Amino acid sequence: MNEKEQKEYLQEYKKEKEKGVPFFPDILFKDAVVSLLLFVILVALAYFLGAPLEERANPANTDYTPRPEWYFLFLFQLLKYFPGKLEVLGVVVLPSIVLLLLFILPLIDRSPRRHFLNRLSVTIPTTIIVAGIVVLTYLSAREAPPPSVTEKGDPIASLYAENCSACHGTSIEVKPGANLHNIIAEGNHDGMPAWSADLTSDEIDALAGFITSPGGSQLFNQNCGSCHVVEELVEGSPMDLKQALENGVSFLPHASVQIPDWNTALSLENRTTLLNFLVAPDGQRLFATNCSTCHGSSLAFAGSDKELRQVISQGGKHLDMPGWKEQVTPEQLDQLSSYIVDPGSAPQTQALFQELCSSCHGEQIPQADSIESARQIIESGGPHRTMPVWGNFLTTEQLDALVSFTRQSMEGNSVAVGQTLFSQHCAACHGALGEGGPNPTKAGDIIAPISSAEYLKTRDDITLMSIISQGQPNFGMSPFGTSNGGPLKDDDIETIVGFIRSWETKPPVELPPEVAVPVLNEKPIQLYAFVCAQCHGVAGEGGVGPEFQSVDFQSQRTDQEIFDSINIGHGSTAMIGWGDILSADQIAQLVALIRSFKQTTVSSGSPDNVSFSKGVLPIFEAHCTSCHGSLGGWDGSNYASVMESGNNSPVIIAGDPQASLLVQKLFGIQTTGGSMPPGTPLTQEEIDLIVSWIAAGAADN
Amino acid sequence: MSEEFKLSRRKFLEKVTVGIGGVLTALFGIPAAIFVVKPVLKKDESSGWMRLGSISKVTPGTPTLFSLKVERETGWITDQDEIMVYVYTEDGRDYAVMSNICTHLACRVRWIEERQEFFCPCHNGVYDKQGTVLAGPPPRPLDRYEFNIENDDIYIKVG
Amino acid sequence: MATRFSNWLDARTGWRNVWDGIFLRKVPKVNWLYTLGSASLFIVVNQVVTGILLTIYYVPTPDHAYDSVQYITTQVALGWLIRGLHHWGASAMVVLVFLHMLRVIFLGSYKFPREVTWFSGVVLFLVVIGFGFTGYLLPWDEKAYWATTVGTQIAGTPPLIGDLALRILRGGEELTAMTLARFFGIHIWVLPAILLGLVGLHVYLVIKHGISTTPKREENSHE
Repeated sequence: MNEKEQKEYLQEYKKEKEKGVPFFPDILFKDAVVSLLLFVILVALAYFLGAPLEERANPANTDYTPRPEWYFLFLFQLLKYFPGKLEVLGVVVLPSIVLLLLFILPLIDRSPRRHFLNRLSVTIPTTIIVAGIVVLTYLSAREAPPPSVTEKGDPIASLYAENCSACHGTSIEVKPGANLHNIIAEGNHDGMPAWSADLTSDEIDALAGFITSPGGSQLFNQNCGSCHVVEELVEGSPMDLKQALENGVSFLPHASVQIPDWNTALSLENRTTLLNFLVAPDGQRLFATNCSTCHGSSLAFAGSDKELRQVISQGGKHLDMPGWKEQVTPEQLDQLSSYIVDPGSAPQTQALFQELCSSCHGEQIPQADSIESARQIIESGGPHRTMPVWGNFLTTEQLDALVSFTRQSMEGNSVAVGQTLFSQHCAACHGALGEGGPNPTKAGDIIAPISSAEYLKTRDDITLMSIISQGQPNFGMSPFGTSNGGPLKDDDIETIVGFIRSWETKPPVELPPEVAVPVLNEKPIQLYAFVCAQCHGVAGEGGVGPEFQSVDFQSQRTDQEIFDSINIGHGSTAMIGWGDILSADQIAQLVALIRSFKQTTVSSGSPDNVSFSKGVLPIFEAHCTSCHGSLGGWDGSNYASVMESGNNSPVIIAGDPQASLLVQKLFGIQTTGGSMPPGTPLTQEEIDLIVSWIAAGAADN
Repeated sequence: MSEEFKLSRRKFLEKVTVGIGGVLTALFGIPAAIFVVKPVLKKDESSGWMRLGSISKVTPGTPTLFSLKVERETGWITDQDEIMVYVYTEDGRDYAVMSNICTHLACRVRWIEERQEFFCPCHNGVYDKQGTVLAGPPPRPLDRYEFNIENDDIYIKVG
Repeated sequence: MATRFSNWLDARTGWRNVWDGIFLRKVPKVNWLYTLGSASLFIVVNQVVTGILLTIYYVPTPDHAYDSVQYITTQVALGWLIRGLHHWGASAMVVLVFLHMLRVIFLGSYKFPREVTWFSGVVLFLVVIGFGFTGYLLPWDEKAYWATTVGTQIAGTPPLIGDLALRILRGGEELTAMTLARFFGIHIWVLPAILLGLVGLHVYLVIKHGISTTPKREENSHE
């Protein structure tokens, strides 16, 4: 715009102004009306939508999907198109250029023309940018991720997240034929704990379904979740579930509800996924819920897997029912007939049904078309009981699992086998239920129960197996493992342990924990603490047996002599030959340990006089109290709390280091919860000091 | 459009505009006042009888200082206030429970043993053992608490 | 009486000239699109009033921010209204300022002699964005925390200066109490000061130059 044009504009504007209106009230009136309108809109928004406030900020929350305020959404969306190093382009360069152009707009567009059609070079790019912002905002709003899973509340997903994901990550590969319910409930030998105490059976079922079919959980939430909870359906019969999906509203319980036809609403694949979620392809569980009413805990089948599969999927007539005509009164016959046709109509007949029919029919009420036909069948009996055509109800995965379990169960239920072995080998001393009793090998000694919840919780499978395998010579228990000269193979021992574990869900004995302590042979220091220390003292100070600390003992014997003493024993004394029980290697390690007592004695002073305040407490303070002081549980900060606090208190049994939970933790032999301190164990000297202090009576000195 | 009509229309617009301005001011002003004032009028809920301590701690003839922790809810914050109270008895039968807050400008008074007086350090207010004003600016005696003695414990009414 | 007082006051302040200059000046007849600017000004007033009211209860520390906002929303009389007005006012502000800007672009109002008005307007637009960004964090809820984490992270993307920019924004490496205090300070002191100054300039210029007219199409253009 040159000077002439500028003058022209000013004159033109002056004319317009003279023709114009006074600012107040003409213009201000419009402004006031618009302001009032705006205020009304804002109040309406505040009233109807309110100002949102979400949960308190939680920097540890990893599930939250951050979303900016809506007017930044277009920028947020723009970022998605600038991956990696290009990000700076989309984030900084592009917006900066647009802003700069915007700022200097009057300097770029200096023509005197003002109408937007006369300035297409400005108005078209502006339109494009505005359209871009609108489209990007729309895209971003549409692509908005669904609220994170936990927020929407997939209870089974969170159950999985809480209990399983720490070890198993986001998903678990399940071997075909695995009995998931059992594994989850009872744990396994690889260190997986038993969950039966923490989770209900339904929750375990739901988890099994989630693990085998995670997609099913989502489908469930979308389609069924508004009316059903998972736990209510996982125990349902697969027949009902299948029918509910197949028949839509004609499925009786769904008759009065507004639901879509699942056959069209869900693909075949999705329906299968859903069924696999609700009834996990877990053979043992499927068998227990669907077959065992008729077949008991297992069944014999001589044919091949293929034939078995065929029988299961096709069902068939295979059972004779006796004629009941002579055995029941006509009234009972009437009652039963009408009960079968419509169980709801005559609930009082349920007792009768249970009395007469349940031994074969279980809880499953046979179906009959009419009272007439029901009566006829009950009267005459005969080969009428049809095994359901399971092929119509079970998914392929579920059938596979069922076949493989049925096959396994023929070989004998592992718990049942374990029970047999237990009764043969263990029950004589421990009692059929592990309740214990008088010790036949030691007069006056009582064997404490091994089936209490406490006992089972505090010992892992490895511990139990090594006790069985190596025996507990000092309590009179002979070694049972073939490797230690006993009658049981490792497999057998494992089976027995499996049986013992089966008590854990419902311990037959609720008594105080026994005093028996497992013998372990992992490290010489433990071996010494449990075996040798009884006679030779915890720090080799002597007792029934010779004192290892004495200079005489150490100097007068060669390593070979000590080795021989342990290996062969001294026939005339209480020292038995350990050669049968311990390997040469272990004995050699013990020898080295015994040799080391000379030095430790010098460094740690007289072990009888270990001071709590000067010796033990500083160790606790250096290694334990950072956690065991303020975080609950055992508290290592002063004498009283050391002796009395803790979830499994007392952790220290004065005079008995081996029985003290604290010592077991320090040695890492209390595997429930791992060894302490986590990470770096205490040094040998520190452990010895604590052990000596406990052995000396754990006094507050 | 006649000039006259234009004028009357303008008058009307003027009135409406000013009216809208007034309405908007009121719509901001009234809620603002409520927003600021109403929460202040809320009654303090932490009132009631509270145990002060054992009466045996009071030595006859000397005002004894008791302190009492009171939970107070202010807005979203719950915190503990400490109330200081002097208990005085001549004979072990009649008691006086006095606040330690000076009635002049709410400084804390203290018991001066040598002079046998309560003294307020802010403006030199002086009270006697019973809380009566002896000298200085305080307009009235020390405030008394309602109290109750049960089983050797003294309770006061707070709030 | 009233006249005497206004005469007295006029002799000492000259307010009548200012009044006449602002309210009684003649301006060209314009359409409703021209109310977008004054609508934005109304929202500024709304934000200032409600914002000041909110600071009476709001406490800008991580341990109190969320609780105090919750207290305002659920406990304080009409707290929902004041906070709601402020919250939605912020959105309305962005929309109105954006539309106002489009109106100015499409009607060519940024041209001579109103270039400086335009410059101040663009800066005002940035200030409004700044208000939105800093205000978003103040409730200290999940949305606030995480959106601001991402938002400030963006400042860290440019090479060389990115890291420094990020630290300046957050007052440290992480989003902490420092960040909250800083954002609060910027939101209630720095930006309002800039905003009011620029609004003053902007309005002064609008009054001085008058509202631009609706342009007519030039058929016989020079090209």
